[in-house]
Amino acid sequence: MNAQADTTSLVGIVVQTITELPRIFTGQASNTTVVVVASGLFGIAAGLVGVFALLRKRSLTADAIGHATLPGVAGAFIVGTMLGLPVREGPWLLVGAALAGAIGAWLIQLIAHRTRLNEDAAIGIVLSVFFGVGVVLLGVVQNMDSGTQGGLSTFIFGHTASMLAADAKSMAIIALFVLFVTLALRKQLTLVCFNDTYARATGWPVQLVDLLLLGLIILVSVAGLRAVGLLLVVAMIAIPAAAARFWSDHLGRIIAISAVIGGVAGSLGAAVSALAPGRPAGAVIVLTAGTLFALSMLCAPRRGLIAGAIVRVRSRLTILSDHTIETLWERSEEGTSPDMGPVRELPGGLRGKVVFLLLRLRGYVQSLGSAYALTPAGMAEGARLSRNHRLWSAYLTTHADIAPSHVDWSVDQVEHVLSDELVRTLERIVQLEDERA
Amino acid sequence: MNQNEQAQSTSALTAHPEHSADSPLSVHALTVAYHRKPVLWDIDFDVPPASLMAIVGPNGAGKSTLIKACLGLIPAAAGEVEFWGEPLRRARSRIGYVPQRESVDWDFPVSALDVVSMGRYRKIGWFGRVSRAHKAAALECLERVGMQEFAHRQIGKLSGGQQQRVFLARALAQEADLYFMDEPFAGVDAATERAIIGVLRELQREGKTIICVHHDLQTVGSYFDHTLLLNMRVVAFGPTSRTLTQENLVKSYGGRLTLLEQASEAIAQMGPTR
Amino acid sequence: MQYSHTLSSAVAALIGLALVLTGCSGESAPAVNTQDKPRIVATTGMIADVAREIAGESAEVAQLMGAGVDPHLYAPTRTDIQKLMEADLVLYTGLLLEGRMTDTLVRAAGGERAVVAVTEHIDEADLLMPEGFEGHPDPHVWMDVGMWKHAADRIAEALVTIQPESEDDFNASLAAYQSRLDALDAYASDALGSIPESQRVLVTAHDAFNYMGRRYSLEVVGIQGISTESEAGVRDIERLVELLVSRQIPAVFVESTVAERNIRALVEGAKAKGHAVTIGGTLYSDAMGKGGTYEGTYIGMIDHNVTTIARALGGQAPAGGMQGKLGVQ
Repeated sequence: MNAQADTTSLVGIVVQTITELPRIFTGQASNTTVVVVASGLFGIAAGLVGVFALLRKRSLTADAIGHATLPGVAGAFIVGTMLGLPVREGPWLLVGAALAGAIGAWLIQLIAHRTRLNEDAAIGIVLSVFFGVGVVLLGVVQNMDSGTQGGLSTFIFGHTASMLAADAKSMAIIALFVLFVTLALRKQLTLVCFNDTYARATGWPVQLVDLLLLGLIILVSVAGLRAVGLLLVVAMIAIPAAAARFWSDHLGRIIAISAVIGGVAGSLGAAVSALAPGRPAGAVIVLTAGTLFALSMLCAPRRGLIAGAIVRVRSRLTILSDHTIETLWERSEEGTSPDMGPVRELPGGLRGKVVFLLLRLRGYVQSLGSAYALTPAGMAEGARLSRNHRLWSAYLTTHADIAPSHVDWSVDQVEHVLSDELVRTLERIVQLEDERA
Repeated sequence: MNQNEQAQSTSALTAHPEHSADSPLSVHALTVAYHRKPVLWDIDFDVPPASLMAIVGPNGAGKSTLIKACLGLIPAAAGEVEFWGEPLRRARSRIGYVPQRESVDWDFPVSALDVVSMGRYRKIGWFGRVSRAHKAAALECLERVGMQEFAHRQIGKLSGGQQQRVFLARALAQEADLYFMDEPFAGVDAATERAIIGVLRELQREGKTIICVHHDLQTVGSYFDHTLLLNMRVVAFGPTSRTLTQENLVKSYGGRLTLLEQASEAIAQMGPTR
Repeated sequence: MQYSHTLSSAVAALIGLALVLTGCSGESAPAVNTQDKPRIVATTGMIADVAREIAGESAEVAQLMGAGVDPHLYAPTRTDIQKLMEADLVLYTGLLLEGRMTDTLVRAAGGERAVVAVTEHIDEADLLMPEGFEGHPDPHVWMDVGMWKHAADRIAEALVTIQPESEDDFNASLAAYQSRLDALDAYASDALGSIPESQRVLVTAHDAFNYMGRRYSLEVVGIQGISTESEAGVRDIERLVELLVSRQIPAVFVESTVAERNIRALVEGAKAKGHAVTIGGTLYSDAMGKGGTYEGTYIGMIDHNVTTIARALGGQAPAGGMQGKLGVQ
C-alpha cells in the first residue's frame, strides 16, 4: 500500500520507472516483463502495418474493424457456451473477433462500391452498427446462466495485467509474420498504395493485395485486443506510422522508424502503466504513442513544424534583406543621397527593424543617426545581387521556354548554374539595356 | 462488320484495314457504358505497327475511357480488343502505360528512381527484390528522359513537367512494345514537351507503337502520323493528314470553327509527316 | 454503382435482430405469476434461496441474477425492472453489492411494494470496513454463515409483513433453516480449522471472502479489490506472486463470476520463480452454482467452498462435503 502513495506524483512515477526497469529487464519482475515484451511486440507489428494502412488511406477502416470485433467476441462466447465449448480457454473469442472484423471490412467495401454512399459514410455505418450490436450482445451474455462469463468487457479497454508468457510468444509470432509479409510483398504494397490504376493496368491483382493488407490489419487489431483494447487499437495502427512520416522521405526508413516508435510506445507505455497502478495500460500506451507523435511533429528536422517555421522565417528574412540591400545599392548608384530615411520600398515596422538589425550584424549596413547607409561590404553585396537578378531577367527573356526549371534566384552566382559562355552573352544583353536607358 | 466498313469509308478518307494479327492494337465494335449511358459506341480500328497515333476529340469524347477500356481498367459492355492477335491477359507484359498525372499522391515517400523502378516490377515478379541490374535499367530510363540528376529526389519536389517525364520513364522501364499515354503533354513546359516527343520518336524508330490521348490540335500534325478522331464513336481514323480535315473536325468538335480552321489549314500546309 | 436491394434487406435484418435481442433477457429464473400468491423478487440467488426455504409454497420467489452473474457489475434489463415493479416484495443485499441497481431499487421503493435490504439489521460494528474504501463496508456478508442467519431473520420478517396470516409457518421454517445453518457453520469450522497453520492463506480472484476469513481465522487475499469494477494491475499480481512464493502457499482459487485470467497469470508468475501453485478449484463467491443443483443453494454453495478450500490447502474434508451431496447433479 506504500507503493501507491509514491506513484501518484509524476516525479514518483519517473523515479519508480527508473528503479524498476532493471528489475523488469532482468526477469525478476517476470509478470511485468511479459507485459512489456508482449506490448512492445504488438507495437512493432502495428507500426509495420500502419505505414501501409496510412499510405493506402485505410487508417479509419482499422478503426471500424476494431469496433466491429466486439459483436464477434460476444457472439463467439454465446455460441460457444450454447455448444458447450470451453469458451474462455483457447482462441474461440479471438476467432470470433477476427471473423466479425472481416465481415465488417467486407461490408464497408460492399456499401462503398455498390451504393451511392462513399467510403467514410460506409465506415461510420459499419463501425457504429457493429459496436451497437456488440453492446447488445454483451447484455445478453450478462444474463446468461452459464456461470463462466465476466471479463468480456476487458476486450474493450484491454487488460495487460493478466498477460501470460503464451501471449508474449503469440505476439512474437504475429510480429514476425507481419514483418515477413511486409518485407516479401513490399513492392506490391508500395505500388498499390501509390498508384493502383497503374498497378492494375500492368496486371497486378490490386484487389488481392488490398485483401492481404486488410488481413494484416485484422490480424494486428485482434492481437491488440488484449494489449490496448478494441477502442484504441486503431491508435497504434495510425499513430506510429504518422509520426514516422515526419522523419524521412524514404519508404524503407519510414517503415523501420514506425516499427521502432510502435515498439517503444508499446513497451514503455506498458512499463509506465505497470508502475503506476490504476491507470489502464491501453490508455497509457496510446498516450505514449501520442507523445512521440507530438515530438515528431514538432521536432523532426526538415518536416517538423519547428523546422518548417525556421526555414520559412529564415527564407523570408533573406529575401527581405536581399531586397533591401539591392534597393539601397540601386539608389546609391542612381546618385540619390546615401542618407536614406524611411523609404517606401524598404520594410517598415517590426519586420523592418529586424531586417536592418540583421544587416547591421552582417556588416552590410550602418546607421547614420535616423537613417541607414551601406557599408563598403554592403555595396559589394548589393552589386552582386543586382547583377545576378539582371542576368536572370535577361535569361528569362531569351530562354522563356526552358528558363523556369533552371532559374534559381537564391543562388550565389549565375555562373553556378549557367555556362560561362551563356553568362557572357547575357552580360552583353544587360549592357545593351543599360546603354539604351 | 461490313456495314461498319462502309460507314467508315464514307466519312474517313482511308479504307478501314482488316483486323490483322500484326496490329499491336485491334479494337472491334467496342462499346463502353457508365451508369447505363454509353460513353463509347461501336469503336472499331486497327493500329498499324510502329506508328505514333493520337486520339483526339472534344472534352467528354471518351478518349481516356477508350484507353482504360483497352487496358481492362473499365469493363466493356460489348466488343473485343486484341493485341497482336492475343487477348489482354497474354499481351500485358508487352504493354506500357503512362496515366494522367492527377491520380497520384505527390506526398508519397518515393523518389523518382523508385517510381521508375515500379515499371520493372512485372519483370521482377512477386517475390524478387529490385536488384542492382534493375536499378541500373531504371536509371537508364531516367537518362532517356533527361531526369537522371533528379533520381533521388522525392517526387513531390519535382515540377509538373519533371513528374510527367518520370512517369514516362516508368513506362519505358517496362520495355514494352506498345505504349498507351493519357495526355502526356498536358500542362508541361516547352522543354519537357520537346524531351518527350524526342523519346517517342526514338521509340518509334525502335519499332514500338505509341498511342497518346492528345489535347492540342495545333501539334497533332507535327507529332503524330496517325490520328483517331473520337467523339463517342469513331469520326475518322487513319494517317493524320487525311483524317484531320476540316470536315472531320467539324464533325467531332461542332461549333468553334476559327481555331479549328487555322489548325486544319496549318496541318494541310505541312503536308504528310515523315 | 447500383443501389443494392439485397444490401438494404440485410441491414434491415440486422436491425431486426438487434431489436429481438434487446427483448431477450436470457435465462434468469422465470417469474411465475399466480393471482393469490405474493410475488417476491430477490436480486441474488443467495437471498432467493433463503426466501424459498422460508416461504415454501406460500409465495413465488424469482431471482434476477443467475449462476455466474457478477452482482457488482449487473445492470438491470427492462424485463428485470418490469419484474421488480410487479413484485410485492423486493429483497436485495444492500451495502452497495448491487452497485449498478441503486437507482432502480430507489424507483421500486417508491411504490406500494416493500423493498428490503436483507443486511439492514446487521450491526455496523460487525461489518468489515476495508482500507481505502471510506465508509463503504464490505458487502460479502453471506460468506459468514452466522451473519447470513441475521439476513434470514430479516427475510422472514419481511415475509410476515406481506403475508401476516402465514407468520407461524414462516417462523417454523425459519427455525428449521437456522438449525441447518448452524450445522453448516460447525462443519465449516471443522473443515477449515483442519488446515495446517502455515497454509491458512486463501488467495482468490477478488476480495469476496473477508468475512469467511474473519469467522474461520483464514488470511484472505484477493487480486482484485472488493468490487470487480476495479481492475487489477500487474504490480498487484506481482506482489501476490511474492506472497505465494515466500509463504509457499500450495493453492489459489478461481471464482465462478470472475474471469480466470488474473489467477492464471498469478500461477505462471509463481512458476517462473520456481514455486508450483495449483488451482485448488472454482469457488462460488458472488453467485451460487447452477440452478437445480445442490451447489445452487446457499448451503450447497458454502459447503462447496469450504470443502474445496479445505481439501486444496491440506486440510481434512470429505469429498462429498457436509452431506455427501457435492458434485452430484
